Amino acid sequence: MSKSPSSLPIEIKISTVVAISAILHSSDPIAIDAALKQMTGGVSDFFDDEFAVIDVGAIAAGATYIDWRALVDLLKKYRLNAVAVRGATAEMIDAIKARGLALDDGAGGDRAREDVAAASAAVTIAPVQLSAPAPAPQPAPQPAPAPAPQALALPAMIVDTPVRAGQRVYARGCDLIITAAVNNGAEIIADGSIHVYAPMHGRALAGASGNAESRIFGLSLQPELVSIAGVYRTFDDGFPAELARQPAQIRLVGDRIDISSLTSHR
Amino acid sequence: MARIIVVTSGKGGVGKTTSSASFSTGLALRGHKTAVLDFDVGLRNLDLIMGCERRVVYDLVNVVNGEATLNQALIKDKHCDNLFILPASQTRDKDALSEDGIERVLNELVKMDFEFIICDSPAGIEHGALMALTFADEALIVTNPEVSSVRDSDRILGIIQAKSRRAQTGGEPVKEHLLITRYSPKRVENDEMLSYQDVQEILRIPLIGIIPESESVLHASNQGNPAIHFKGTDVAEAYEDVVARFLGEERPLRFTNYEKPGLLQRLFGTK
Repeated sequence: MSKSPSSLPIEIKISTVVAISAILHSSDPIAIDAALKQMTGGVSDFFDDEFAVIDVGAIAAGATYIDWRALVDLLKKYRLNAVAVRGATAEMIDAIKARGLALDDGAGGDRAREDVAAASAAVTIAPVQLSAPAPAPQPAPQPAPAPAPQALALPAMIVDTPVRAGQRVYARGCDLIITAAVNNGAEIIADGSIHVYAPMHGRALAGASGNAESRIFGLSLQPELVSIAGVYRTFDDGFPAELARQPAQIRLVGDRIDISSLTSHR
Repeated sequence: MARIIVVTSGKGGVGKTTSSASFSTGLALRGHKTAVLDFDVGLRNLDLIMGCERRVVYDLVNVVNGEATLNQALIKDKHCDNLFILPASQTRDKDALSEDGIERVLNELVKMDFEFIICDSPAGIEHGALMALTFADEALIVTNPEVSSVRDSDRILGIIQAKSRRAQTGGEPVKEHLLITRYSPKRVENDEMLSYQDVQEILRIPLIGIIPESESVLHASNQGNPAIHFKGTDVAEAYEDVVARFLGEERPLRFTNYEKPGLLQRLFGTK
């Protein structure tokens, strides 16, 4: 591995920020202003200095001229910080760059949203994910600058070795996937869901930081204790025989731990 | 290249020392220069089972502390010229073993051209057991076919995976072998005991051998001779199989099937 990155003057990492997508259906600043005023209802902090991507895909073909400066200032007035333009035509590019805005190629995925949005107000907002622009000051061993993946979820933690008595595995902030056996006396914990593709004994705690939607999935369950979002269930009289040693899932239904087979219904 | 093998189990009384004695003797009988070290500081059993308790002058703690040299402390086995025993101290406690000291002793043994260095671990998961497994290249996990023993073996396997030098430095993991002892096919048949398949399904490490439950182990201990010396007994043959498999030979599993005594056997009570 490389040297400790914290000793370098700059550290480059992929990060994901959420931005508002401002989809234009008109290039007229006055019409946009009126629509924003109506949308925010005069509440000055309706937007909270969020990043905004101006999506001109819907009007790019017809619009001959867009006053970018006026547009950026207008969004700023409503506390939206324009950082990029999406769906621009080739003629617009110079003007956009002159304003210091980035170009987002917006690799697909927005057509449908636009179609839906077309019937609504002049400005539509929708959360989009925006990859931070990654300058490359040095030839770091970096993969080709392909379009950044659109959905950057936290990767699940994957464990391929048996989890034995006395061992504890904790997947912080993500799902936990285990491909080897979990033995009695072991403890597996995840902030997300837990998946075990081998016999699962021991204790399994999903949604450890409170996510009640988390579940536990297993090919062969026989746990000592399961918990979802702090609601737990022990199996003093043994795991329900009709559900043991077969594919099953464990959910939180209301305040009750529910175990159901994954083979009986499909 | 020398191989350091820890014989461990977590649980006490499952046959670690008996197995260490027979395993190291078996390796030596096949011509390999072997040392067997007793890490059970404070109790000291290995020298009794090896029948050399009266020749103990210096022990492992003396060598670790630099109060004696390895040559002074190693006891040559009474049967094999290429087997040496390093006994534990009965008058110190386990904290007398330091990691640096153990590493020095093991390095010195490697320099003395020992091919196999067997570390007989104490029971438990405390300091003594950790010291025994820290430098291991391979591990013999001694397990009785019984739930608490299996659970403790599972625990010690986890500790090996976390605390051994190989795990800490990110090297190749310690090679694990499952040795099931005190196995009684008859009691397995009657559902009084876990089968070896059950044990293996829980622990999921390769099986190196099954030692049948036998009175000859007790005889051997009392006489101060490792059980492998009692030619013709099931236990001796089972340990010979273990040594052969460890050295890479193929041997079929034996002593795992219960054969109901025949009529003549029942009438005349042979065995």
